Amino acid sequence: MMKIPLQSKKNNKFTRKQLIILIVCITTGFIIGYSYKLTKNHEKINNSYIDQEESYREDLIDQQERNKELAEELNDLQNRLREYEKSFAENEVEYEHLIEEAEKLRLLLGIIPAQGGGIQVTLKDNEYNPNSTNPNEYIVHESHVLSVINELKISGAESIAINGQRLKSNSYIRCNGPVITIDGKQYPAPFVIEAVGDSKTLVSSLKIVGGVFDQLLSDNIVVTIEEKNLIQMPSINDEA
Amino acid sequence: MWLPLLGLILGLSLGLLTDIQIPAIYENYLSIAVLAALDTLFGGIRANLQQVYDDKVFLSGFFFNIALAAGLAFLGVHLGVDLYLAAIFAFGVRLFQNIAVIRRILIVKWEERHIKKDENTV
Repeated sequence: MMKIPLQSKKNNKFTRKQLIILIVCITTGFIIGYSYKLTKNHEKINNSYIDQEESYREDLIDQQERNKELAEELNDLQNRLREYEKSFAENEVEYEHLIEEAEKLRLLLGIIPAQGGGIQVTLKDNEYNPNSTNPNEYIVHESHVLSVINELKISGAESIAINGQRLKSNSYIRCNGPVITIDGKQYPAPFVIEAVGDSKTLVSSLKIVGGVFDQLLSDNIVVTIEEKNLIQMPSINDEA
Repeated sequence: MWLPLLGLILGLSLGLLTDIQIPAIYENYLSIAVLAALDTLFGGIRANLQQVYDDKVFLSGFFFNIALAAGLAFLGVHLGVDLYLAAIFAFGVRLFQNIAVIRRILIVKWEERHIKKDENTV
């Protein structure tokens, strides 16, 4: 056991000791306080860093998810595009055919002006024959016109006009005494039938043996067939 | 008696209020300095209680220990060896020893006083 005697209170030494204790205590306190503060600051900074990192990470994840979605969408769209392209490629030839057909149909309908090579068939009444009592035997009837038109259509005429009157799909031709009525307009002889198309085919089909040409001749009708390089026909809309 | 406490409070408030920024590398040194300062402080208290207190030893020990610890840590950082562990170990052990001695002395004192009181009252 240690016995602790009372300290000798020499004033000078006591104050010096006190001073040293004070200095040491202040220094220790300072160091402790300072390091405490530093640690706290660090924690704060670390925490804020962690929070920031967390939020950045969440942002990143969000962005990545969005990227994924967009990539899927892009994939979808590209697939669809490819399908479209495929079907387009399949249909392209068909489209061309369709366009050609539409053009042809328009020509046939007469809603666009037609021009091109073709033939011109003129049907004229024969000169008066005093030997014949029946004038029907030498005048042009609507049946002759019709047969010519029919033959022209069969041989691929794109468009037909009679005396400049374009024929439509629902055109009618009617015998009206000495004249012929086409779509309500009356035309006297001679009848000039123009047809746009392959002139050689048209001529040869007309002149086939026992065909229309022979028939017309046998009916005493003056028929002239001319091949023309350029025939121009207005559209039916222009006439109206 | 109040002087050390006053000094500690003053130092603490000073340390908390100062706004000096030091590089992160030197914070290791600071933690060792804390340990060294605490060790010296408790050593001083023990010496005082054991009647072997000496001003010079106390003051020189205080600053020398801090400097030595910081120096060891510095050397360790630059050598790539964790030398500051040695300082922490040494100071830690000494801190515990000092505190243990102080505790025993205080217990002895308290018992003595108790016995005296008892003798007086009886």
